Amino acid sequence: MSSQTPRPTNLAKDGDDKLIISWSDGLRTTHTWQNLRNNCPCASCREERLKPPDPFRILKPSELVPLNPVQIEPVGYYAYKITWSDGHDTGIFTLELLRELAEK
Amino acid sequence: MQPHQPAAQKIALPGVKNVVAVASGKGGVGKSTVATNLALALHMLGRRVGLLDADIYGPSIPIMMNIKETWEPNGREWPLEQYGLKLMSMGFWVKPEVAMIWRGPMVAKYLTVFLTQIPWGELDYLVIDLPPGTGDAQLTLTQTAPLSGAVIVTTPQDVSLIDARKGLEMFRQVKVPVLGIVENMSYFATPDGKRHYLFGHAGGQKLAENASVPFLGEIPIDPKVAECGDRGDPIVHKYPDSEVAKAYLKLATTVATEVAKGARPEDLPGLAL
Repeated sequence: MSSQTPRPTNLAKDGDDKLIISWSDGLRTTHTWQNLRNNCPCASCREERLKPPDPFRILKPSELVPLNPVQIEPVGYYAYKITWSDGHDTGIFTLELLRELAEK
Repeated sequence: MQPHQPAAQKIALPGVKNVVAVASGKGGVGKSTVATNLALALHMLGRRVGLLDADIYGPSIPIMMNIKETWEPNGREWPLEQYGLKLMSMGFWVKPEVAMIWRGPMVAKYLTVFLTQIPWGELDYLVIDLPPGTGDAQLTLTQTAPLSGAVIVTTPQDVSLIDARKGLEMFRQVKVPVLGIVENMSYFATPDGKRHYLFGHAGGQKLAENASVPFLGEIPIDPKVAECGDRGDPIVHKYPDSEVAKAYLKLATTVATEVAKGARPEDLPGLAL
């Protein structure tokens, strides 16, 4: 059952903007940090993404500075939690989601 | 002893070889009874065993293990010991008449305290008696405790099986191996040896087959089980030759075999940024 899901064997940084994950089935996936943040699975980010775009939205100060990950840590056997430079840390990226979010 | 913020990272329990969670989707299926008797049966097989009561809202281990006193967290050495098991429960800190009216983060804090600040020492098995459901306590433990696997308890009725399936699905999603399903209150054996399947037959087995997980066995109904639990002397300890105790010893052997198969996944690799 759970053993059928490929598991990360190694995580590495590629420059400042990318994460590379090597998987147990031999696949290597590349993820830009920006894409991960854009697809943050936490409840508030998901709700935000479901709203129609607001053309008059005013940018928050935190959106004007480049966003960086400050920590990525395993959650149990099934996910990673990323803490971002703006303090956001509620997104739990499951292994399945990370496979889905791999840059094509 | 002060609760800290729950650690997001997996907790290391260096002296504990195997952490086994006893779970169910539904309440009232005898999870605490199974956890307690399984822990005692493992102890009877010669293993060093701890029992952690993760039901913060409704701890049952104190009454089942005949510990009536409560202490301040700093009031004595932990864990307690009874019938050869090391024990920890919220019920050792809070009087039975006090209700714990807490939201999830407090539950997570105290479970983390139980795992990290209690000197469990050298154990072959730490059995965790989970509360029913698929909520905060389960998530905290699956996110932080180095679980070897989970035993799912069900009774034969559909109303229990449907929730056991949810429990199974939760462990599947968080990639904790399911060691198997045990069916509690399976049948009543009359003195002539005839088995009466009062709540239906083989529901647990069918669920295990459908989910492709081992079926760990049937535990019969015996009024002595409830009586022993309420009197604080579990049936495996008080009547080790009873049919129920034999069923638990068989369960303990099967669980030990499943754990020894080494299903526990490797910890995920980290990355320093």
